[in-house]
Amino acid sequence: MISQFFVLSQRGDNIVFRDYRGEVAKGSAEIFFRKVKFWKEDGQEEAPPVFNVDGVNYFHVKVVGLLFVATTRVNVSPSLVLELLQRIARVIKDYLGVLSEDSLRKNFVLVYELLDEVIDFGYVQTTSTEVLKSYVFNEPIVVDAARLQPLGPAAIFMQGTKRMPGTAVTKSVVANEPGGRKREEIFVDIIEKISVTFSSSGYILTSEIDGTIQMKSYLSGNPEIRLALNEDLSIGRGGGTIYDYRSSSGSGAVILDDCNFHESVRLDSFDMDRTLSLVPPDGEFPVMNYRMTQEFKPPFRINCLIEEAGQLKAEVIIKVRAEFPSNITANTIAVQMPLPKYTTRASFELEPGAVGQRTDFKEANKKLEWGLKKIVGGSEHTLRAKLTFSQESHANLTKEAGPVSMTFTIPMYNVSRLQVKYLQIAKKSSSYNPYRWVRYVTQANSYVARI
Amino acid sequence: MSGHDSKYFSTTKKGEIPELKEELNSQHRDKRKDAVKKVIAAMTVGKDVSSLFTDVVNCMQTENLELKKLVYLYLINYAKSQPDLAILAVNTFVKDSQDPNPLIRALAVRTMGCIRVDKITEYLCDPLQRCLKDDDPYVRKTAAVCVAKLYDINAELVEDRGFLESLKDLISDNNPMVVANAVAALAEIQEHNSRPIFEITSHTLSKLLTALNECTEWGQVFILDALSRYKAADAREAENIVERITPRLQHANCAVVLSAVKMILLQMELISSTDVVRNLCKKMAPPLVTLLSAEPEIQYVALRNINLIVQKRPTILAHEIKVFFCKYNDPIYVKMEKLEIMIKLASDRNIDQVLLEFKEYATEVDVDFVRRAVRAIGRCAIKLDRAAERCISVLLELIKIKVNYVVQEAIIVIKDIFRRYPNMYESIIATLCESLDTLDEPEAKASMIWIIGEYAERIDNADELLESFLESFPEEPPQVQLQLLTATVKLFLKKPTEGPQQMIQVVLNNATVETDNPDLRDRAYIYWRLLSTDPEAAKDVVIAEKPVISDDSNQLDPSLLDELLANIATLSSVYHKPPDAFVTRAKTASQRTEDDDYPDGNEKGYSANVGDGGASPSTSSSSVPYTAARQPSPAQVMPAPASPVPDLLGDLIGLDNNAIVPADQPAMPSGPPLPVLLPASTGQGLQISAQLARQDGQIFYSLMFENNSQITLDGFMIQFNKNSFGLAAAGPLQVPPLALGAAARTLLPMVLFQNMSPGPPSSLLQVAVKNNQQPVWYFNDKILLHVFFSEDGRMERTSFLEVRSLFHIALVYCGTKLSKPYIMQDHTAERSSSMSIWSVMFVTWRSLPDSNEVLKEFPGIMVGSAETTMDRLAASNVFFIAKRKHANQDVLYFSAKIPRGIPFLIELTTVIGNPGVKCATKTPNPELAPLFFEAIETLLKI
Repeated sequence: MISQFFVLSQRGDNIVFRDYRGEVAKGSAEIFFRKVKFWKEDGQEEAPPVFNVDGVNYFHVKVVGLLFVATTRVNVSPSLVLELLQRIARVIKDYLGVLSEDSLRKNFVLVYELLDEVIDFGYVQTTSTEVLKSYVFNEPIVVDAARLQPLGPAAIFMQGTKRMPGTAVTKSVVANEPGGRKREEIFVDIIEKISVTFSSSGYILTSEIDGTIQMKSYLSGNPEIRLALNEDLSIGRGGGTIYDYRSSSGSGAVILDDCNFHESVRLDSFDMDRTLSLVPPDGEFPVMNYRMTQEFKPPFRINCLIEEAGQLKAEVIIKVRAEFPSNITANTIAVQMPLPKYTTRASFELEPGAVGQRTDFKEANKKLEWGLKKIVGGSEHTLRAKLTFSQESHANLTKEAGPVSMTFTIPMYNVSRLQVKYLQIAKKSSSYNPYRWVRYVTQANSYVARI
Repeated sequence: MSGHDSKYFSTTKKGEIPELKEELNSQHRDKRKDAVKKVIAAMTVGKDVSSLFTDVVNCMQTENLELKKLVYLYLINYAKSQPDLAILAVNTFVKDSQDPNPLIRALAVRTMGCIRVDKITEYLCDPLQRCLKDDDPYVRKTAAVCVAKLYDINAELVEDRGFLESLKDLISDNNPMVVANAVAALAEIQEHNSRPIFEITSHTLSKLLTALNECTEWGQVFILDALSRYKAADAREAENIVERITPRLQHANCAVVLSAVKMILLQMELISSTDVVRNLCKKMAPPLVTLLSAEPEIQYVALRNINLIVQKRPTILAHEIKVFFCKYNDPIYVKMEKLEIMIKLASDRNIDQVLLEFKEYATEVDVDFVRRAVRAIGRCAIKLDRAAERCISVLLELIKIKVNYVVQEAIIVIKDIFRRYPNMYESIIATLCESLDTLDEPEAKASMIWIIGEYAERIDNADELLESFLESFPEEPPQVQLQLLTATVKLFLKKPTEGPQQMIQVVLNNATVETDNPDLRDRAYIYWRLLSTDPEAAKDVVIAEKPVISDDSNQLDPSLLDELLANIATLSSVYHKPPDAFVTRAKTASQRTEDDDYPDGNEKGYSANVGDGGASPSTSSSSVPYTAARQPSPAQVMPAPASPVPDLLGDLIGLDNNAIVPADQPAMPSGPPLPVLLPASTGQGLQISAQLARQDGQIFYSLMFENNSQITLDGFMIQFNKNSFGLAAAGPLQVPPLALGAAARTLLPMVLFQNMSPGPPSSLLQVAVKNNQQPVWYFNDKILLHVFFSEDGRMERTSFLEVRSLFHIALVYCGTKLSKPYIMQDHTAERSSSMSIWSVMFVTWRSLPDSNEVLKEFPGIMVGSAETTMDRLAASNVFFIAKRKHANQDVLYFSAKIPRGIPFLIELTTVIGNPGVKCATKTPNPELAPLFFEAIETLLKI
């Protein structure tokens, strides 16, 4: 169990502080903040999420720039505490719509009420927004979401296509709409974070997909929902009989290495026809997490060349090719590449007619940055940079520069081919036709090309 | 509700408190609610609004749950500072606990348990009893936690009122939330208790396993953690348990997965069938890997746990090494852990892939990470002999990039590779020497010098290379100086020509006459003596064959590893330390339980005794720990304090078997006489004697009260003023009412660091004692530091070797000829062996600046025999480390430690049998020295 819970701002201000057991001295928040701020141990400059100072164990996670912290004196399960801190952030976000220093301060009474129901004497009671609704009476004061950075994986939909109702994800699950009745709608987001490492010759060294089916329901009356996935979906890799069977049956199968489900999900017919049934609780929650190392076609190919071009000079050419259909557009692309330490200047040359691109040479950490607003499927973009050095390079330039890393978001595209075939809402009424939003998105987690 | 809560923070007008007071008493409910919110807002930013206590409590009687909760929040915060006023709330609490609304009933019980005021606790019992049997599961689950709260405040009350039994009944409750909370509460109570309270039988096991399936995710963790204490009877039962647990591995909550992994690992110890074990390993791998897809914080915890798991069962993740490859956006703490696991999983099969990764990491931007990556390559070379050559070629490639810190790190690891595979890869020395002048880090420099010395015969210009360092000898850090010294000696022994001979003169001169560093000086003297006595013997010693070093990537001691594995999914597995190394919970509850161990014999003697006296005290020994009252009948004479007592402190609470007082002897009070601090003449007939004492690792205040006044005294309470060590009572003073002429002895458990007074450390302890009949008595006591000396103050003696080497150094000091120099192994570059040569004590002693050494002479004290002194000091946790003779004097080394890990190293110099002891101590906290000497003097005097 935990002793205290508190939320600190980036400056170390106490925004929320709740002591559950009175066994840790009052100054713990300051001790914690000083320790994290000036961390220097084992040659590392970033504090690990769990550490001990004078017999007090501190746990922390960072959520939208806020530090969620718990303390204890006993030998608890650290994954429980860290998971709890994440969930508290999620519950508060469910209630407040937006999680920020401002919204926490405006709603401190509600937050304390929530904290008293979530934790009793240091023991977690529940983190389900659904369950909490029956015990919590304060109503949220919703802050203006437009000015604020949204939180959560679904937030990425805000930047993309106009079709998506942007306010939905920052809507409080308990606050009533200003217009009166709540809109009946449900969001199902398939979010895939992909990690790919290319070797210098362009081979894929490692590739991995971390996927989540995220759900956020605003349906009244908590109807049951059936969610059907690809019928050829199989789970387990390496040696399993299913795997052998599926892999021989062709390339169409989606094979997950491993997956897990939210506790509200019933898997009665999952083995039969790959459908999940659940009564979605309120709030945002992951229906299913999955992991895949099955080969997939990476959305981008990166080509990078660095070579000497005269004395104390070198040229870099980075080519990015989008290998997805042309009706799909990736956005907010950023390409980064560390340059040799003795680089003093970099001048850039973009392709003719380039729009929405920007380039930068970060003097402080000797990094090249190339930003592109969007990339249409099938297109290719090139950046040339001329570098000036302050000294001769020692050996191979490729050893001193790189690797090239890339971040991007591709809405309405998923590399795993995992799909929601249908979303059925079991409510018997012909007039009842709530909005159903099934959205796909692919994001780069660690997307790296070595040179 | 309208507006923003934040407006409550913005009151800046004067007279805030009176204004709030007015609003709190307003007629309008909304206004009152707003006012309470303002009060709470002020409270959360640390303003003192306790003066509004009565007004806030007045708002408590409301049907509005929102308002009620706010008032309760306020109460929890301030009840402790206003215990008398808090009583006002009791009626409402009791009423609320019978409210038709289950939310209000639960709220009342939950809040009352959080108010740690004794008087309220009494009123809590009846509502709690009712709520434990409530119809509503929400109330029952809240009541279950409340039992744990009550136990923390008053354990006896919980046991007396039978709440433990009620809790155990709740394990069979039909609501899984209630079950989970009951399990959590019982587990916590068990934690504080040495007596079995919450035993998991096969019956409870099956009940809990069933509840597991219906519980919330958090409840599942409580239950799994509680079940991990269960020892299955045989392999079959273990397999059954595992079968029930395995589905938990699919849970989305990482805590559930890790707790399930822990359970399965524990049961696997019992399962003998290799097929079953292999199958389980296969099942655990994917969920463990999936943990690495969680948030980085959770990844970190998972990686630390996986680190332990692969040490025990490397097969589980043998094929998954790729998932531990670092991502460029991993936080540094994740990257470092991944590196460790990659080294652990590296094998001949995957080493090429692994090296390719390490090589990439070695060119990244983060300097610390790069260094670790380079070290990782070296560690793989040492671990896998067939891959060593490939590792070295990667290292050489990295050296060619000429990034300074990479080169230095590479040289450090290459030195280890040379040690591991002698006469294999020396051909690369030439390449290494090219980088000589770029080295600026001590460890790298020292490593390079070691290499030059070790291979002096193969390096043509070894003398020139070493000579280039000699000019700066005095400025070099000690580590480099030591290596230079040894390398020069090696060079001289290998090439006894004119050049090296001159060099050795310079070095020895520098290292003996010019230096203040005792390590260096000692080593130089030994060499000097060796070289001048018997150069052949010197060769045998200095150029001796070295033991082969091995890979340290599985460095955890097997017994520690097993302990840590039993603690998977706890903090212990993240710190890689056993729980008692970091859990420092004030053990107030555990003392309460010790009275259960009160030997029966003693109790009998005690009751027989009081029986004589008639009016027997109303308390039994279980409710008044460590206390016994004496009711002497006229015929009884108080036993002489000098009655044969074998162990002076041991029998105060009768824990020692040999201290059980026979029933036919007048029993109380026993123990040594305590110094009288409040004489009866001052205390209107009440005499108090007291002294601090240490027992079983705990500090107690041993007190004796004698009532020589004309009235019965009761209601004793004690308080300690702020003092240098923050000593304070850990619990209430337990003294029964004292009739006239009666006396009582008690041991009051104490805690440290509660209420520290600023300023230089002082031994003054101001005590106030009150009772219901007399004014408050104040008296002063003296804190003797030795009661703080902890049981873990023993310095580790790493091996026998260092004692011998110490002895030899002593011999050198004394000018005695070394009889057997062969004992001195090669104490050259190896980091590990240099630690083992020099006793840890000496290193610590010398690592502290001289300003931390303080000296004091005790002219009047005589040490009769070293052994007696050692034993006596050891009884007070001052531990003997080493002894040497210096001329006719004996020098004894001891260590001691006080809380917060402050060590004391002690050197006692004396001539045995003659008065006069010189005591020197080194400590990081020299300001404590006066107190320390006082304590040592007391201990030596006894």
